[in-house]
Amino acid sequence: MKRNLIWTLWAAGVAAVALFPHLFGVYYANALILFAVWALFAVSLNLLLGFTGLLSFGHAMYFGTGAYGAALALNHIKGLSIVPAVIIGMIAAVILALLIAPLVVRVSGTAFAMLHLAFAQLLYVLALKLRSITGGEDGISIYPRPDLNIFGLLRIEMNDQNFFYFAVIVIAAALSFLWFFTKTPFGQIMVGMRDNSKRIGYLGFKVTYTKAVVYAVSGGFAGLAGAIYALLQSLISTNDAYSMVVSVYPIMMVMLGGVLSYFGPIVGAAFFALIDEWIGSGQFQQLLLKLLSLLLPSSLAQRVSDFFQFEMILGLILVLVTLYWPLGLAGFIALQRMRWQMRRVSGGPQRSAT
Amino acid sequence: MKRTIRWMGAFAVFCWVSLFLLPAAMAVNAKYDFDHFPDMSDYDPNNIVKPEGDTIKIAIIAAFSGPAAAVGQSYLLPVGWVAHDINKRGGIMVDGKKKKIEIIIADNQNKPDVTLKVTERMILQEKVDILWGTSGSHLQKVINQLADKHKKISVNAISLSDELMDKDNFTKYAFMTCFSTEQIGRAFAYFYGQIRKKETKFYILNQDYLFGHSLAEGFKVGLKEYFPTAQIVGEDYHKLFLTDFAPYLTKIKTSGAEVIFTGDWIPDAANLLKQSRQMGVMLPFANIFLSDPTTLTEVGIEGTTGLMAISQSGTGNPVFKNEGIIKYFKVWDNLWKNKWAKPYNSLSYKYPMGALGTYMTSVYWLASVLERAGSTDPEKVIKVWEGDSYQTLGGKVMTMRACDHKMVTDLHIYEFVPPAQQKQCFNIEPYYWFEKCAGAGPVYEIPSDKAIPKADPELCKKN
Repeated sequence: MKRNLIWTLWAAGVAAVALFPHLFGVYYANALILFAVWALFAVSLNLLLGFTGLLSFGHAMYFGTGAYGAALALNHIKGLSIVPAVIIGMIAAVILALLIAPLVVRVSGTAFAMLHLAFAQLLYVLALKLRSITGGEDGISIYPRPDLNIFGLLRIEMNDQNFFYFAVIVIAAALSFLWFFTKTPFGQIMVGMRDNSKRIGYLGFKVTYTKAVVYAVSGGFAGLAGAIYALLQSLISTNDAYSMVVSVYPIMMVMLGGVLSYFGPIVGAAFFALIDEWIGSGQFQQLLLKLLSLLLPSSLAQRVSDFFQFEMILGLILVLVTLYWPLGLAGFIALQRMRWQMRRVSGGPQRSAT
Repeated sequence: MKRTIRWMGAFAVFCWVSLFLLPAAMAVNAKYDFDHFPDMSDYDPNNIVKPEGDTIKIAIIAAFSGPAAAVGQSYLLPVGWVAHDINKRGGIMVDGKKKKIEIIIADNQNKPDVTLKVTERMILQEKVDILWGTSGSHLQKVINQLADKHKKISVNAISLSDELMDKDNFTKYAFMTCFSTEQIGRAFAYFYGQIRKKETKFYILNQDYLFGHSLAEGFKVGLKEYFPTAQIVGEDYHKLFLTDFAPYLTKIKTSGAEVIFTGDWIPDAANLLKQSRQMGVMLPFANIFLSDPTTLTEVGIEGTTGLMAISQSGTGNPVFKNEGIIKYFKVWDNLWKNKWAKPYNSLSYKYPMGALGTYMTSVYWLASVLERAGSTDPEKVIKVWEGDSYQTLGGKVMTMRACDHKMVTDLHIYEFVPPAQQKQCFNIEPYYWFEKCAGAGPVYEIPSDKAIPKADPELCKKN
């Protein structure tokens, strides 16, 4: 019965996604892709943070390298299809991760975080200065989007609707792969390293090599997210690719959603996307203005409502979540569920006793 | 003898006919209609009235938050003014209906990804008819691409890079109503090499993105053409929204430069000028956007004297050429003094000229095109606007080049002098622009044929 319900829910979910662009239009379809991109980026970061216990302040370097890899490939290889472009973006990020890994996998904690901050800033400045390659502040344009060419047999134009299906399928496949990756024995070693890396070493596993593999996988999938992002935006610039904010966003998503859960970052990304849309469309400010107008003079109310921008609201929410729900939204939900189950278990015998 | 008389008669007839035909041939397609200038006393940029019913929607895509928030503010006032002017006249007859203009703010935070998102929101959710923007050529490129994709008219009133309209980036849906980088560079080179003939050593300091590089290239091209003996003694490009210009100014100090050539815009332009004067770098700036009076007043008369500003909306001296302009200005001035609240009662918004005038002209021209097209249908708008010419209240004539949708007009370079010397330019009381800073005095005209906007040969084959 339960199995049937799960399958029904899955089928309903797939149908909802398939019908999404038809029901809600291109704008919200693009918003959904953006959410999926952030979700993949955050999950890739959480492979390091949640599963391996390594906090990176510079994950944008993989996201950006993936984005630039795809964009540069499309600009320099004539007639390149969308799939090889995405793969090139992902491989570029993996190569960068493998180059940096020998330096960073031997350290942890603050040193790991600060090294990443330094590398990310280095790449940011390099991308700004190497204007002839990266386009600097202007970035590189990917317009029009390349077609999907399957071995020359089938050519599908990547209009907004088709790109929606392409992006959703690729990201869903990537998220599924990462889910299974965390469930393999290798995934359990990752968690073991997070909790006690010395013990994992005593058990005979090579901790640094294991970290390097996790690191490359995490970088690769961040690169994949970046490549899809560049194709979605039809443009990638230094600020969108390598800036500090791009590194901080997935950390916020992970913290909001829950660091100890695989689905936490996805929940965090959804929350992030909703707030972004709510504030970006001006609906939040309008609501706030209405409420403030009841208490303050209209000019002051206008100023206060203008004051609340996306980063500020997100920062406030992060402070509240960290203070009151340190395990994030997913952790909070799991805790409530556990409490409810305990209450049910403890409530059962009492009822039977009376 | 008879033959001579016959020839003279024919010549007289020719002259007589020409007297009627020539003005008709030279006439512009449309001009600002001051005869029906409405009562604007109820216009307030802080409370722009949203017209009801079916409207023509114009999205102002600009930074309304973050370090460049003042830029968005400076667009809202003039665009809102034009919309109010037109709405008070009853609107524009399009698609068989009189429609009023509705302004919708789209805050792009000066970021490419946000620009893409808000522009898409404007097109797909708000269903706007016109995209109007924006500062930052890299951002305008995003808007133009979306205009091309969704077949919407995009009016570029601010971003000056020539590359926006080259063969790789040109879209028939985008129109550039402002001057462009090579045109500006060449105009300055013509001015220094052929008119002023004084300074010979130049230092280029621009923002590090498409516009800054493109402008510098234009200046170098112009120097080669009009001033080959001039020297570029230094060249630097800084990050957008920089707060510390000291490293660049130190280099400039030691370079021996006589003029700093910059295209920096607010807030960089203001910070650059202030810091240069604080560091004792008193060199003149050949500039485009260093004319914000709030900044100029903070720097004072001494620090602002000698600045050379280029303008596309200027018409030569004196500024107040006719009763119409004087009346128009007085209406504005009255509202500025008595009605508008912060930030629009600051010195930056005292005159409907300069940059504000440029933005207003852009929207007036657009409105005139919509009216003559009788539709908001992009294809009909394109048909009217290509090759169109429009005359402003000040008498400035602008033409939209059909092959690449770039505006062609004469340019003017203004030399900033102390208030006592500004009467030649500001010819009504109090005979100066601002009391506590230098302002436009002598004006030098750069004819359009000396600085014609760059044309991509693949787009403009016939030219």
